Amino acid sequence: MSTVAYAVGAVVLLASYITWTAGRLDRMHARVDAAWAALDAQLVRRAAAARALLPLLPAGPEADALEIAASASLDAGEESREVVENDLSRALRAATPLLPAVPDADYAKAELETAATRVGLARSFHNSAVNDTRILRGKRLPRALRLAGRRAMPAFFDVDDTALRPAA
Amino acid sequence: MCPYSWDVPGGVQAHVRDLAESLLELGHEVSVLTPVDEPDDAALPAYVVPAGRAVPVPYNGSVARLAFGPLSLTRTRRWLRKGRFDVLHLHEPTVPSLSMIACFAARGPMVATFHTATARSRALQVFGTTLQPGLEKITGRIAVSVAARRVVVEHLGHDAVLIPNGVQVAAFAGATPLPDVPPGPKVVFLGRIDEGRKGLSVLLGALPSLVKQVPDVQVLVAGPGDVDEVREELDPTLADRVHLLGLVSAADKPRVYASGDVYCAPNTHGESFGIVLIEAMAAGTPVVASDLEAFRRVLDDGEAGVLVPVGNSAALADALADLLGDTERRRRLSAAGSRVVQAYDWAHVTRQIVEVYETVAVAAAVELDDTAEDPDVEDFGQEDDPGRVSETLRRWLAVVRERVAP
Repeated sequence: MSTVAYAVGAVVLLASYITWTAGRLDRMHARVDAAWAALDAQLVRRAAAARALLPLLPAGPEADALEIAASASLDAGEESREVVENDLSRALRAATPLLPAVPDADYAKAELETAATRVGLARSFHNSAVNDTRILRGKRLPRALRLAGRRAMPAFFDVDDTALRPAA
Repeated sequence: MCPYSWDVPGGVQAHVRDLAESLLELGHEVSVLTPVDEPDDAALPAYVVPAGRAVPVPYNGSVARLAFGPLSLTRTRRWLRKGRFDVLHLHEPTVPSLSMIACFAARGPMVATFHTATARSRALQVFGTTLQPGLEKITGRIAVSVAARRVVVEHLGHDAVLIPNGVQVAAFAGATPLPDVPPGPKVVFLGRIDEGRKGLSVLLGALPSLVKQVPDVQVLVAGPGDVDEVREELDPTLADRVHLLGLVSAADKPRVYASGDVYCAPNTHGESFGIVLIEAMAAGTPVVASDLEAFRRVLDDGEAGVLVPVGNSAALADALADLLGDTERRRRLSAAGSRVVQAYDWAHVTRQIVEVYETVAVAAAVELDDTAEDPDVEDFGQEDDPGRVSETLRRWLAVVRERVAP
């Protein structure tokens, strides 16, 4: 009799643990989604700030490259996003030193700097959410029971953002 | 969300207070939930919501005053429910107190600041994995120093953004020297005088050699501790050089820094940040400090202050004498110091923290993670009894049950 009670107890415990872990995973995926939404918003903001520089830049290859990169960033799909954002960083680094020393340019540069800092923050938060999720999904129980369902494994987003800040 | 008693002085409490006030100045709405020992105290600022009295608990080698138990849980939940906050900012969520409760009870945009820099925390080693389900809900993590960030990375396996502790630079910059300081070149020391790692004994050991080089030198020592005991140990021929001021008020602290020609930080170990150096530099006083990792970082590798070998009284005496005899160099270091402290000014630090808030707050507002009902509790009069574990467990089980079988 007591064996049955123990077995039932064990099954109940295991079942609650599994449900709880599934809930945990669910929450973590939601966190990744929210972090991606935040990162996406900051990347768009940065591209907009980059476009705001265009009328201030002297015509030349740097201005052209920046225009192309900023538009590409606004149009990019999820797969090509990393490449496109890296291009934008590079174009920004090349273009910002050419800005004239006028108040408008200082303002646009400050906007860009804020946007770039936030991209850095959002990227760090996104990647740490991804990291937490991947660790939990990699554990034996969630893997064996496919607790994550059909959701894609979240991927890190890596862009060169240390160089995003234009030299002040 | 502050884990320690509001009315007991401490670094975390000061951080929360200064941050809250800077945020209010910027026009944000702020509510701070914290344990308070004297709830009748009318001096509580309007933004503070008391969560009951804290219980003294030995933690991490010292006694921390924490709030943990069914009443703290209920009050935290009620505060979260009523507040409908855009961002929940937890300080020290690994300390078993309000922040940890909130971390488990809430969901939504959460930011956590990690202050502790203790390389080895037994509690973290034991409970690190247990806390993971709560800590993994945090959206953005901030560490106040490189050492604190290392703790987060090594013990909890998370990354954290580095945003330093803030200092009210303006409060120090305009400070006037104390009225009754003795004439002559002055060296200032500020810190607990009976705590070995603050290094007062290193400074006093440097005194004989320093007096030989700078005959009219005076040393001002401010900080809590047994003044008589230090006085007894002093060499009688040098005793009149050392002015023991005891514990100084927060209002007088900037004036103590401003009274010195040189600020001396002979700390031997255990400093993770070096806020004293920043305060001294904010007051325009050039700094001579031990070559500790944290101090080296604050002093910009010696650009903004003089670094001396740790625990070496002879080297300290020479460095102090050199600097006291060189007005031009003091002026240069003071100017470099004023530049360095800008990065630690609350105005700057708050802006960085607001950027973190704005990055995480794109999601919905903070809410409770479950819909369980809470019992009514009075704001005060009842206290959590650490012995009432069964009651706590019962309430937690109710929450868990609700979550498992909705």
